[in-house]
Amino acid sequence: MDFQKPPKNYLIESILVTIFCCLPFGIVGIVFASQVNSKFAGGDYKGAIASSKSAKKWMTWGLVLSVLYYVIIYFFIFSILGITILSLGNN
Amino acid sequence: MVKLKYFGFLFLGLFLALLYFYINPYNVNYFPKCPLYVTTGIYCPGCGSQRATYELLHFHFIGVLKQNILYIVGILILAYHLIISLLNTVFNKSIYNYIYHPKTPWIILIIILVFWILRNLPFYPFNLLAPH
Repeated sequence: MDFQKPPKNYLIESILVTIFCCLPFGIVGIVFASQVNSKFAGGDYKGAIASSKSAKKWMTWGLVLSVLYYVIIYFFIFSILGITILSLGNN
Repeated sequence: MVKLKYFGFLFLGLFLALLYFYINPYNVNYFPKCPLYVTTGIYCPGCGSQRATYELLHFHFIGVLKQNILYIVGILILAYHLIISLLNTVFNKSIYNYIYHPKTPWIILIIILVFWILRNLPFYPFNLLAPH
């Protein structure tokens, strides 16, 4: 078998998702990252690619959820701020 | 298209950096809170990250450690990965990246889980790990 590069394991991304918002998604991502590494080390390249895809999926969902969570809250902050500034202008 | 994506990330990063530089999350109560902490009162491994970001942007490393030790670990792992990738791609080196070692993700997972349990123990010295 030729030397192949290990598929991307999304470990860094999963750690960031864990630290900044969505713990369960990040942890599933880390588990899949470990599968990518161990399957690749065992010579199961197809399995490693499949695990890489799962890791990417969980990491992406965690990322989307955290971005949504932050954006919704920021939206409320800035709309409240805007309303306050506008109502101050009316007085 | 790829360039546009990177510009977007750069802009978002700058915006967030300015936001967390000028507003101390400790003093205001309208920043997004950890959903787990709000619903159950349990600290998750990421609790304190926003305050840690504020402290990091002001170079108060002791403050970062007080809020969340895992944050520093995460930043160090990120820096390690970026430096190794940069050396390998730009300077055509072939340094082994331990991110791809079979045992690394398990070690990180165990660190996160142990840290999660320890920081919720309400007595000394473990209560130092909770954000405060």
